[in-house]
Amino acid sequence: MIAFEHVGKRYGGRFEALSNIDFRVSRGEMVFLTGHSGAGKSSLLRLIMRLERPSRGRVLVAGHDIDKLHSSQLPFYRRQIGVVFQDHQLLFDRSIYHNVALPLEIRGLPPRDTARRVRAALDKVGLLHREKALPIELSGGEQQRVGIARAVVNKPALLLADEPTGNLDPQLSADIMGLFEDFHRIGTTVMIASHDLALIARLRHRTLRLSEGRLVGDEEAA
Amino acid sequence: MSLDPPRRRAATPRSTGARSRGAVRSDRPAGRTAGTPAQGGARQQSARPQGQWRSWLRHHRAMCLDSLRRLIRQPVGSLLTMLAIAIALVLPSALWLSLDSAKLVDAELDASATLTAYLDKGVDEAQAQRILEAIEAQSNIASTRLITAAEGMAEFQQALGLDDALARLETNPLPASVVISPQSPSPEAMTALSERLTAMPGIAEVRLDLAWIERLRQLAEVGRRVTLALGVLFGLGVLLVVGNTIRLAVENRRKEIEVVTLIGATHAFVRRPFLYSGAWYGLGGGLLAWALLTLGSDWLSAPVASLAASYGAHYQLPALGLAGSTILLSCSTLLGWLGAWIAVSRHLAGIKPR
Repeated sequence: MIAFEHVGKRYGGRFEALSNIDFRVSRGEMVFLTGHSGAGKSSLLRLIMRLERPSRGRVLVAGHDIDKLHSSQLPFYRRQIGVVFQDHQLLFDRSIYHNVALPLEIRGLPPRDTARRVRAALDKVGLLHREKALPIELSGGEQQRVGIARAVVNKPALLLADEPTGNLDPQLSADIMGLFEDFHRIGTTVMIASHDLALIARLRHRTLRLSEGRLVGDEEAA
Repeated sequence: MSLDPPRRRAATPRSTGARSRGAVRSDRPAGRTAGTPAQGGARQQSARPQGQWRSWLRHHRAMCLDSLRRLIRQPVGSLLTMLAIAIALVLPSALWLSLDSAKLVDAELDASATLTAYLDKGVDEAQAQRILEAIEAQSNIASTRLITAAEGMAEFQQALGLDDALARLETNPLPASVVISPQSPSPEAMTALSERLTAMPGIAEVRLDLAWIERLRQLAEVGRRVTLALGVLFGLGVLLVVGNTIRLAVENRRKEIEVVTLIGATHAFVRRPFLYSGAWYGLGGGLLAWALLTLGSDWLSAPVASLAASYGAHYQLPALGLAGSTILLSCSTLLGWLGAWIAVSRHLAGIKPR
């Protein structure tokens, strides 16, 4: 599903955020990405979303070199990837329902299908009863769950998450990770960047370890 | 390209997810266009043209109403923008209207273009009559009028109000004259006619009233070009006003633009609400301009009519009419749309999702 071939990424000519990254993730796999902040986790995810382009090497997603995508194809590429952000990236001027519906509106789904899918996604994350609320009325954990609902409402084949449990307490973090495991179980490829090593260790999935822009560990699930 | 959607499968042992190097092989190179329904992805990608067409229309309708609602939510700001547009539109429109009516005057002038042939001093009435017949035999003559020396004197006295002074003259210094309306008032035909008349015996001089008509025409042409230049300048002004307003709107909704770009919105999708805002601003400005023009022409019509009457002319202030109103409103809407397009295109390039 994802293949990095000797990928390097420099910013501003000097700072090397990633160097010689080489790994593959199979379809349906669930992978953690760990490392200290600044180790290059976010850069790596941004490369997969094609928010950045590699300075060296190739990034293949579903067998395609995504660097070769024309800018007019990018929106259609991104629609197939669900992304959960650490800071949720919710729109605070619209309700939970409309936040989750956004990817479907962009795809131009008929309102009836949209409603059905949004409710299913909200139900999945346990927030169906809050659909009319504004994001500001929700707790951090709830906001993160809205972010997850929005990421999966499109039924993406690939789900990326950047520090999805960043500011949450251990119990909430475990709940959130449980949600990701559910999506993994139905066949979605999941990649989660996190520095919560204790939580990752408990979940027993493949773990890619980054340090100063290098891949220093690739551990199979124990 | 298209990624396969997750296969709905029962919870299978996780070991299937282990790294099999060949897993990527199963992805056949899908068509370059992202809308290609992949096997099993058909449900996810409802790419039927009719459905797309309908969803496109739906989004247009939604954005059209949404942008209008946003305008109404900030009534003062919107009104100020529209007023700025209206003022920029009123000046060239008013000039254009005045020129349009000047064109009517011009047509009347054409009809009243005449030549005056002054006869030799010593010509008596009988000779004058013969000369008149000779003139009428020429080509390109619509009508003629003989003004005898005595009639000329009477007209002159009346026009100047100098009865006493002129009465003291012993002999009438004025010659008899013939006023000729040509069939074709074009300058060339008039000049040719005047040359032929000058060559005739008994005619001392032919006066052509062409010069001032030409001058008036040239003045009108100058006015037309000035109006055009002003129209272009003020049109650019409208673009700037709308562009600046939309630039602020884009800045205000930067976060939203970033988010929707992250989750796969096309440029057209992002641009759409702003284009509608621009068009609404333009339409609002056009309506205000129309109201200002109508009010202004009402306000001016009475004094203009009496002024014209004092010159013995009938001149009515021009109104916009249906065609004029349509042109004004569609131009302003188009300018608003264009201003928004330029502003959004310039700024979208600068907005990169973080």
